[in-house]
Amino acid sequence: MTADNAVGAAAAAPTPAPTLASAAPDPDEAQRAIEYCYEQGWSDGLPLVPASKPLVDQFLATTDKDPGEIIGSLEQVGRDCTVYLAAVNAAMAGCRPEYFPVVLAAFEALMRERAARGGGFQSTSGPAPLIVVNGPVRQQLGFNTAGGAFGPGFRPNMTIPRAIGLMVRNAFGIHPHVFEQATQGVPGRWSICIAENEEESPWEPLAANGGAGGGVSAVSATLTRTMEFVDNRHAPNPEDVLRDFQDTISRIGSQIFPKSAVALVLCPEHAQMFASAGLSKADVQNWLLERSGRTVGEFRRAGKAEVTSRRFGPPGAAGAGHDDGPPRADEEFHPILNGPQSIPIVVAGAKNAAISMVVRIFGEWSGTSVPVGEKK
Amino acid sequence: MPNAILDPTGTVTTSAAQPAAARAPRRASLNGARVGLLINTKTNARPFLDEVGRLLTERYGVTVTRRTKTNFAVPEPEDIIKEMAQESDVVVTGVGDCGSCSAAAAADGVVLEAAGVPVAVIVTDSFRATADAMASLRGAPGYRYAVTAHPVAVLAEDQVKARAAQVLDHVVALLTQPGNAGE
Repeated sequence: MTADNAVGAAAAAPTPAPTLASAAPDPDEAQRAIEYCYEQGWSDGLPLVPASKPLVDQFLATTDKDPGEIIGSLEQVGRDCTVYLAAVNAAMAGCRPEYFPVVLAAFEALMRERAARGGGFQSTSGPAPLIVVNGPVRQQLGFNTAGGAFGPGFRPNMTIPRAIGLMVRNAFGIHPHVFEQATQGVPGRWSICIAENEEESPWEPLAANGGAGGGVSAVSATLTRTMEFVDNRHAPNPEDVLRDFQDTISRIGSQIFPKSAVALVLCPEHAQMFASAGLSKADVQNWLLERSGRTVGEFRRAGKAEVTSRRFGPPGAAGAGHDDGPPRADEEFHPILNGPQSIPIVVAGAKNAAISMVVRIFGEWSGTSVPVGEKK
Repeated sequence: MPNAILDPTGTVTTSAAQPAAARAPRRASLNGARVGLLINTKTNARPFLDEVGRLLTERYGVTVTRRTKTNFAVPEPEDIIKEMAQESDVVVTGVGDCGSCSAAAAADGVVLEAAGVPVAVIVTDSFRATADAMASLRGAPGYRYAVTAHPVAVLAEDQVKARAAQVLDHVVALLTQPGNAGE
């Protein structure tokens, strides 16, 4: 490089105009604060928003709850999460203060899950919370209720589940490779928050199924073990499409207990097709409930005979503790779903293709939804 | 003055955390001891512990009682721990071969020890980190347990028995050698 070239290059570089009291924050200071948060071990791997008292106070101002109130406990590790810790973690996750009542409702809904209290966050499955938001709060806070329901792209949908993940990490102390023993984990962990597409759903919202009533802002949550598409945009007959769902639900791969549960995140097109044929949510659930499963022989040939065994497994599981009786015949059908409550249905995404998701639930949905608290 | 960056971590606040859990004095010998097996219901845990019990009976003339964990993922309830401490001179529990159940097995071991019962906890080698973390959390850093290779759930019946035989000497040492009380 010649001296002339060097001079030319320097001249071509844009020189920022000096500003008087610039409105933009100091990026160097921001970076130092972000690095500080990493150094403390607080981060999930992505940058955190450094939380200050004035910021956290704005979160706390959105709720009537006392900052010291315990909103969830993990007895096995002796840790509690308070409203205050929830606020700090929500701030760090990038939530806006006005999201905080939804964070609190989502956490309450998740902690109603037996699996979440009972070791789910430590599990080798590495389950991901599925959070579903209903009601006017979706528009008030700017949730995505349309295409790309599983994200990313929208601040409340992304930061609220991240806040829950940070609460588990920081408030409960469940760190990867220590108490968190996920073998691979579920893609999308701590980033799945669906705002139901109530506007294009032919049915009552999930929160109504969860007892919170229709038209109410409420949050439902469960833990999921994995998920898979049903892409069926060709069949004009609803029964054919239901059979396609039945086939995906009945896959053996993720089955480890005699019974399991699935959530259906139906695209508007599938939901409307079923509804036009006169099917309610309950009709869809009951149709799949009867037919989802495989024969004992199919389980055996996949190396999963134990799943259908009468002497199977943990207490509470169907058939636990009974090791008497003759072996089950190969041709006997083994249904895998427990009841309508084990098939919650949500309508989400764009009405632009007939693509829906079968979401495998870790344990079983509590069947309850939590209204979003309003400050009185 | 600039604002401080707030700490998002909680502190250990409930009774699960003990400042320093006492460990039970070891038995001089297992001869004629009452052995409690706490079976965590994971696949092959029952035949594994049954075989440990059978070998201990053969070798030391112990009497064996079996209990099944109510929920493998979490520590056993206090009343069950109390009953086990009354009915058993020593306890063998396992097999901790998953994220939650390895931690729960270590917690059961520490809590039973504090109730005066020497315990041999068995976990698979993939879960040392979580067993160690739980023992520390419960006030027993460095708590010693028996380790068998992961996985256990896929083993055939004779392989499970071979594993039980392999781990037996360590189980006996954990229950009888004073050094394993952590003094």
